[in-house]
Amino acid sequence: MIQITDLEKFYKTEEVQTIALNKLSFEVKNGEFVAIMGPSGCGKSTLLNIIGLLDDPDGGSFQFNGEEVSNYNERKRSELRKHNVGFVFQSFNLIDELTVFENVELPLIYTGVKPAERKKRVEEVLEKMQIMHRRNHFPQQLSGGQQQRVAVARAVVNNPKLILADEPTGNLDSTNGNEVMDLLIDLNEAGTTIIMVTHSEHDAKYSHRIIRMLDGQKVTENILV
Amino acid sequence: MFKYNLKIAFRNFKKYKSSFVINIIGLSAGIACVLFISLWVHDEMRVDKFHEKEKQLYQVLSNMTLNDETKTFVGSPFLLADDITKEFPEVEAATAINADFATPEGVFTHGDNNQTAKGLFALPNFFEVFSFDVLVGDQNQVLQNKYNLVISEELAKRLFKTKENAIGKTLNWNYKWTDGNGEETLVVSGVFKTPPAHSTMKFDYVVHSELLIDSDRWAGDWSGHYAKSYLVLKEDTNISNFNQKIANYLNTKRDGKFKFTSFVQKFSDRYLNLPYENGVQVGGRIVYVRLFISIALITLLIACINFINLTTAQASRKMKEVGVKKTLGASRRSLVYQYMSEALILVILSTGVALLLVFLFLPKFNAITDKNILLNFGSNQLFIITLIIIVTGFLAGSYPAFRLSSFKPVTTLKGETPKTVWEFFLRKGLVVFQFTISIVFIISILVVNKQVKYMQTKNLGYNKENVIQFEIGSNIENPETLLNELKNITTVQSVGFTNGEFLEGTDNNGGWIWPGKDSEDYRSFQAPRMGYGAIETLGMNIIAGRSFSKEFNDNYNKIILNESALKLMSLENPIGQMLKKGEAQQEIIGIVEDFQYGSLHKKIEPLVIRFRSYGNNILVKIAPGTERETLSKMESIYTKFNPGYPFDYSFMDSNYNKLYAAEIKVANLSDFFAILAIIISSLGLFGLATFTAERRAKEIGIRKILGSSVLGIVKMLSSEFAKMVGFAALIAFPIGYWLCSKWLDNFGYAIELKWWFFGLAGCITMLVAMITVGLQCYRAATANPIHAIKTE
Repeated sequence: MIQITDLEKFYKTEEVQTIALNKLSFEVKNGEFVAIMGPSGCGKSTLLNIIGLLDDPDGGSFQFNGEEVSNYNERKRSELRKHNVGFVFQSFNLIDELTVFENVELPLIYTGVKPAERKKRVEEVLEKMQIMHRRNHFPQQLSGGQQQRVAVARAVVNNPKLILADEPTGNLDSTNGNEVMDLLIDLNEAGTTIIMVTHSEHDAKYSHRIIRMLDGQKVTENILV
Repeated sequence: MFKYNLKIAFRNFKKYKSSFVINIIGLSAGIACVLFISLWVHDEMRVDKFHEKEKQLYQVLSNMTLNDETKTFVGSPFLLADDITKEFPEVEAATAINADFATPEGVFTHGDNNQTAKGLFALPNFFEVFSFDVLVGDQNQVLQNKYNLVISEELAKRLFKTKENAIGKTLNWNYKWTDGNGEETLVVSGVFKTPPAHSTMKFDYVVHSELLIDSDRWAGDWSGHYAKSYLVLKEDTNISNFNQKIANYLNTKRDGKFKFTSFVQKFSDRYLNLPYENGVQVGGRIVYVRLFISIALITLLIACINFINLTTAQASRKMKEVGVKKTLGASRRSLVYQYMSEALILVILSTGVALLLVFLFLPKFNAITDKNILLNFGSNQLFIITLIIIVTGFLAGSYPAFRLSSFKPVTTLKGETPKTVWEFFLRKGLVVFQFTISIVFIISILVVNKQVKYMQTKNLGYNKENVIQFEIGSNIENPETLLNELKNITTVQSVGFTNGEFLEGTDNNGGWIWPGKDSEDYRSFQAPRMGYGAIETLGMNIIAGRSFSKEFNDNYNKIILNESALKLMSLENPIGQMLKKGEAQQEIIGIVEDFQYGSLHKKIEPLVIRFRSYGNNILVKIAPGTERETLSKMESIYTKFNPGYPFDYSFMDSNYNKLYAAEIKVANLSDFFAILAIIISSLGLFGLATFTAERRAKEIGIRKILGSSVLGIVKMLSSEFAKMVGFAALIAFPIGYWLCSKWLDNFGYAIELKWWFFGLAGCITMLVAMITVGLQCYRAATANPIHAIKTE
C-alpha cells in the first residue's frame, strides 16, 4: 500500500537547517499494523504527516497504492486523503463547537454522503464505539477516553483503507488506553491498515512490526507477528 | 453544509460573546450610517426625475462676458420657446415660465375668501412638457385662454373646500406688479396635483404668460429676459453640437451691446449641479452628495476593519478547527465559504439592528437634513439594503476567510499560530488608519463648527439684530401711511425698505462710468436698491456725505458708494460728483462704510447703492425684548391696511442664518458622523486590547511574579496603542489641514486654521483610546498571576 524510498524532509530557519527525515525507505503492505517508535525529534510525526498527505517531502519517492503522490497538489491530496485516510491524534482534535454526532458526521459531509446515509453510518459507528448515549454532548463534556473513542469513530466512519494514529493513548490513563488499542486491533482485524506513532512499548506490542527511528533514519525493524 | 456553517457560526457567537457584541455594535453603527446616507443620496438623486420626458428635458442658459468675467443667466425671452421650436429640428417642444424676479404675486378672492399662494406665469403647453398631474381638466387645454387659471388641489380646497367643483369658478385676482397693482377676473380651468416634495418647481397656481406680457411690454420683447425656457430635445440629439448651433441664437434676435452665448443644461441635473462660475459648472449640492457618500464608505470601512482585526487577531481560536477540517478533507473553498457565511450572518444580524437604529433616528435625521424620508422597504430601499449586506459581507469577511483557510493543518494541529510579519503590520496599519480617519473627522467638525459660528457672529458692517422683515401687501394704496403708522409705535426704532433680496445680495447693475474712466469701458457693480430709512434701520455707517433723506426729496438719480467702490474709482471729494449710467447722470450723495452684501461666501466688493422711492421689502428695527408687543401692534396695523391677509413676517437674523443652511447641515451631520466614527474605532481598539491582554496573560503573570507593578504593566500594554494613535495623528494632521483649507476656500471670509484644532483633535482621540485600552489593561494587570500561569 505504501512504498517510501529515500524520503527527505528539512526544516529551515534563517540560521539553521534541521534534517527531519534522512533518506528514509520502508514499505507498508495492505492490512498491516505498523508501529513507529523513537525519541522525540527523530522525525516520527513528520513521517506520519507526509504519509497522511498533510505535508510535502523535500526529496525521495512516496507511492500510495502504486501511485506517486509526493508531487500532488493540495486539491488532489485532499481528495486522496478524505477517501482513504483516517486520523487519530494524541490530543483528540475534536471540534469544540460541534456535538459528538456532528464531529463524527463531518468526514461524511466532505465526501458528499447523503444526509440519511450519514445518519445511519454515524449511528452505526457510535454504537460500535459504545458512545451512542453521548451523541448530543459537546467534546468538553466528555472524559479523555470518551473523546478518543469519538476521534476513532470519526477516523473510521468513512471506512478508510489506512488509519494514522499519532500517540493515540498519550493523553489517556492505562484502562482507557487499552480500550483504544483494542479498538484499533479490531479495525485492523477487519482489514484496515494502521500506522501508529508511539512512545509506548506496551502499545507497540499490539502491532505486527515496529520500525525504530533516530535522527530521521530507520535504525531497526522488528517483526512481531 | 450550510446548516453546519450556520450552526458553527451561532455557537461561535455564543462562545465569544464580547467579540460578537463588539462586531454587532460596530457593524450595525456603520451600516446604519450607510443606510442613512444612502436614503439621503437616493432622495437627492430623484429630484426632478419624475417628469415623463426627463431624459429629453433641458433648460436654456446664457453666458455673458463683461470685464473679463463670464456670468451665467437662466433668464431668456418668452419669445424664445416658440421660435426655437420652429427653427431647430432637434427641438420637439419648448415651454417657458416666468424668471424669478417676475413671479406672480397677488391675492385670489372668491366671495369673502382671500387666499395668497405661490404661482407661475407659463406658456400654454406647460403641462404637456412637465409631468405635473392635471387631476381635473384637459392638460392640453387648461391654459388655452389668457384668463385661465390652473390651481393645485390644495389651493382648490382652500378656496372652494373641494377640488371637484372648482372648474368654471370665477375668481378675482388682485395682483401686484413692478409699477403698481391691477385686477383680473380669472376662470379656473384645471386642478393639478400639488407638486411632489422632489420637485424643484413648487407652485400652487399657473396663469397664462400673456397676462405678464400685457402688463409689461419688455416681457414680450427679445430684450427682456423675463422667462426661463425649457426644451424637449429629440432623443438622439447630440447636445454639444446643439449647443454650438444655438450659441449665437439670442444675438441674432436682438440688437444690443451685450452678447449672449446660449447653451442647454439637462433640467434634472440642475438641482445637484447648479452654480456656474465664469461660464463653467462648478460645485453645487453634488459636492455634498459626494462628500457624504465618502463619509458613509469610510465609516463602513472602519466598522469592517474592526471585524477584520478582531477575527484575524483571534485566529488562534479557529486554528484547530481549520486544521481538523482540512485533515478530514475540507477543501479551502469550503472553508472560505464557511467563514464568508459566518461574516455574512453577522452582517445580516447587524443590518437588522441598523434598520432598527434608522427607524428610531429617522425623524431626527429628517429634521437635520430637512427631508421627509420614510423607511418603507420599497423596491429601491430593498435593493440598497441587499447591496449594503453583500458589500459589507464581502468587505469584512473576505480577508479573514482567505487568511484562516490558508492555514496549513500540520502547523495548526501542532498548536502553532501561523504568523506573518506583514499581518502584524497590517493589523497595526488598520488601527492607525481608523484613528487617522477619526482625527480628521474631529479636526473637520472643529473647523466646520468654528466657521459656522464665525459666519453667524462676524461684524457685517450692518446690524441684523431685532430687525423684522415683511413684504408689503399688494393692495395697499398708500404704503407711506403704513410706514408712518409703524414708525409711530413707541417700541419701533426705525423703519425702512429695500427692493430685491438684500441678504442674498443678488442685485447687480451694469454700464457705469465714473470721472476719469474711459467712456467705452463700462463696469458692472453690485447695486442694491434702497429707500428712505433702510441705511439707518440696518445701522450702516455713513462716513462721508449723507444717507437718502426725504428732506432732500431724493430721486432715482442719487447714489451712495461703499468704501471699496470709492477706492476703486479713486475719486477725491466724491460727494456731488457724477457717475454716468447710459445717458443718465447719477450723483454721489454719500459714502457708506463697507458692509457685507450677500453671504460671507463672497468678499466685499465695490458697490453702488441705488435710491428707490418704493420698495416691497419692509425693514423694521424694534427695541430689544419687545418682540411680542411690537409684533402684535405691527400686525394690527398691517391687517388694517390689508384686511383678511395674514401678516407674514420674519426676523432678519434668522433669514441670515438660512444663507448658511448648507453649512449648518454639514456641521450637524459631521458632528454626528465624527462621533460615530470615533465610537466605532474605539470599539475596535477595545476588542484588540481585550485580546492582547488575553494573549499576553502569561507574560503579565510572569512579570508580576518577578516584581512588576500594576502601573508598570498598564503602561507596557497601553503604550503600544498610544504609539498607534500618535502615529495616526501625524498622518491625520496634514490631511485635515489640506481638507479644511480647501473647504474654507469656499468662503470670502474664513477662520484661520489654528494649531490647537489639531492638538485638541489629537488629545480627544488619545484620551478616548486610552480610556478604552486602559480599562482592559488595568483588568489584566490586576488579575491573579497564578491563575494566568496555570491556564497556560
